[in-house]
Amino acid sequence: MMLVVLALTALGLYFTQRKVAATAERDLQENFQAKLVSLHKIQELRHTALTERCGELVFKPRIHAALEDNALDLLYPSAKDELRDLMEGPEPSQAEAAGSLHARFYRFLDATGAILSPPNPQDVGELGAKVKAQLALKKLPETQQIGYVSETADASDEAVDEVMVVPIFSTETGDVISALVVGFKPFEVISKSAGPGLKSGIWMNGRLHLPSVPESAQSALGKEIANAVTKSDRVENNFSVTINGTPQLLFYKLLNPESIFPPAYEVCVYPLTESVAQQRRLRWQIGGAGALLLLGGFVVSQLVAARLSVPVEKLALDFEEDHMQRKRAEAALASTSEELERSARYSADASHQLKSPVSVLRAGLDSLLAREDFKPEVYHELSALLHQTYRLTGVIDDLLLLSRVDAGHLQIEAERVNLGKLIEEWLDDLSALPDSADMKIEKELPAEIYVAGEKRYTSLIVQNLLENARKYNRPGGCIRVAARRETAEVMLTVGNTGRPIAQTAQQHIFERFHRGAPVSEISGHGLGLNLARELARLHGGDLKLLRSDNDWTEFEVRFRVAHPSFNRAAEVA
Amino acid sequence: MRLRVLVSVSAICILSPIAVLAEAVVEGHVELPKSHSAPVMAKRYEIVTIGGVLSPQPPLAVVYLDGSFPKSTAPATKEIAQKDLAFLPSLLPVQVGTRVEFPNLDDTYHSIFSYSPAKRFDVGRYRPEERPIPSEVFDTPGLVTLRCDIHEHMRGLILVLNTPYFVVTNPDGRFRLSGLPSGHYALKAWINSKTTREQPVELKADTVLHVDFP
Repeated sequence: MMLVVLALTALGLYFTQRKVAATAERDLQENFQAKLVSLHKIQELRHTALTERCGELVFKPRIHAALEDNALDLLYPSAKDELRDLMEGPEPSQAEAAGSLHARFYRFLDATGAILSPPNPQDVGELGAKVKAQLALKKLPETQQIGYVSETADASDEAVDEVMVVPIFSTETGDVISALVVGFKPFEVISKSAGPGLKSGIWMNGRLHLPSVPESAQSALGKEIANAVTKSDRVENNFSVTINGTPQLLFYKLLNPESIFPPAYEVCVYPLTESVAQQRRLRWQIGGAGALLLLGGFVVSQLVAARLSVPVEKLALDFEEDHMQRKRAEAALASTSEELERSARYSADASHQLKSPVSVLRAGLDSLLAREDFKPEVYHELSALLHQTYRLTGVIDDLLLLSRVDAGHLQIEAERVNLGKLIEEWLDDLSALPDSADMKIEKELPAEIYVAGEKRYTSLIVQNLLENARKYNRPGGCIRVAARRETAEVMLTVGNTGRPIAQTAQQHIFERFHRGAPVSEISGHGLGLNLARELARLHGGDLKLLRSDNDWTEFEVRFRVAHPSFNRAAEVA
Repeated sequence: MRLRVLVSVSAICILSPIAVLAEAVVEGHVELPKSHSAPVMAKRYEIVTIGGVLSPQPPLAVVYLDGSFPKSTAPATKEIAQKDLAFLPSLLPVQVGTRVEFPNLDDTYHSIFSYSPAKRFDVGRYRPEERPIPSEVFDTPGLVTLRCDIHEHMRGLILVLNTPYFVVTNPDGRFRLSGLPSGHYALKAWINSKTTREQPVELKADTVLHVDFP
């Protein structure tokens, strides 16, 4: 768990750091680009001003007159007047160069592209042989060109000049008859205006001219730029470089696209030292914060875990104990269930085994009774024996039913049973019995009372209760049957006069083979109440003894109400 | 080249025999280049440059009798004015030694100059009311292109000739040169800066020679 948290935290920190680094780099790039844009704006302004100036110049009638009227000797003298403002005055300082239009030199090219020699070179800016060679063109351009020429008078002091070539069209022929070439000091980015550390130079012909960078670094950088320029067609790009162990952001931009002069790139270098330091600081801060967080989290989690583990361990222990107890209980239950099943099976088997001999016995007794050659007392004895066989059959039937209940094989198919009618039928039967002549029967039954149940079992319950009420009654006693409906249930109470059940015996009356009275006195086999209760419970109700004292014993059985909609089709009673 | 010489006695010769009998006359027609500009009501001549060729527009030609003639003892003074930012006339033939004045008839400055080999001059900027009127003497034969340093479109031509015998044709190319000396000469027709046609002529006193430049 801790490992996962650690990994997640580390991952989070890693991504945060990456995001922060990316944001810092983007900010830096934007800052750098903004600076470059402002510089390029100034450059553009200067270019525009120069273009305008040169453009005006080439339309000057005197220059045209000199070129068109075959007066080349008057060309430079005429231009001198026109270009006086560009050439005169002291050369501006580097700081002023950006806003200055001061030209370092100018020359005219003839129709073939060769330089027209000025009468006094000092008046038009002297040029070295190398620059002259770079200025002479094979063909005059038809559009204005920007180019860069380098003068390597001294390897360590190499100067780059920006030249603007403006074609001069003949007013007579419309052809390009000449070109004016004006050389300027290239625009150099200077620290003061561009921000600390930003250096700029020019890369051309495979060489970098960046005076503020050491010679060795210049050549190395020059190679990298050459590589980048040849690999990519992009006119501008940037990449990271390292100069003397310091990371720098290098930006280059093509200065003279579509020029007849060799491509020259402006190169700006911006040190990333501050940004790298800032990033490192940030990384440490984030790392430190992360580590602290992790440590704090670890300590807190340990504490929490320690506190949490006590109840958990206890819980585990309790659970273990509970588990064991449950196992034991389950084992006991299983054995009980097995025993029960076994006994139920045994009861069922026994009942079946018993039924056949009883039938044989009864058939034998019946045939003996049919004979007429016995003495009258023999007939009495045979009748008693036959009666016992009927008792035995009742016991066996009850046992069979109980065994089915115990085995869970008894399925109740509930229907709508008219309880009132059922009771009335049994009471009729009861009153027909010889020992019930003087018994008073009270009934309190609603006109229509229906319960949900299987008719024969419901009937069995009612029969059991009514028979008991009769059997355990006293002579001249009373039986009261009452039924009432309580929301979803029907409560049936059956009470009878007679000797009450002993207090100690009351809790056992629902056990099998238990009898509330001595066997000799009252017929019965001690299964009736047990069976009645089991059946009542199977029907979702119950049977209980309400009271048994003061010559009055009363049982209550609950049935489920059958609403009129309940299985109307199956209504039987 | 076709030369047709008609020898006849002109009506003028008959009516005034004393004055002109000793001089020859050349008349004829110069086939001028087709005009490039649409005809306009108020004809205004200007010097245009087409394909590097300076020519008057609408086309005109200068017909002159080439040869070596003595300079005029009383140098003439001619005039090319600047009016409506154009030279007027735009083409002026003069004999060497002629002074040409450049009166400014506009309401603005002009600055007439020429870098032509035949005459380099620069009168500088001047206002209309400036006196004396700037002028230059043209003493080298050749074509002088006049420019204005302020109005770069302005062009004027001065054709400086050795001969005093020259005439500008009318717009349909007809010309007539009179008072010519007898003898063998070259009759030339200057059509533009690059084209000058030439016909040898045998001039005889009291005769009118008809020469056409096809």
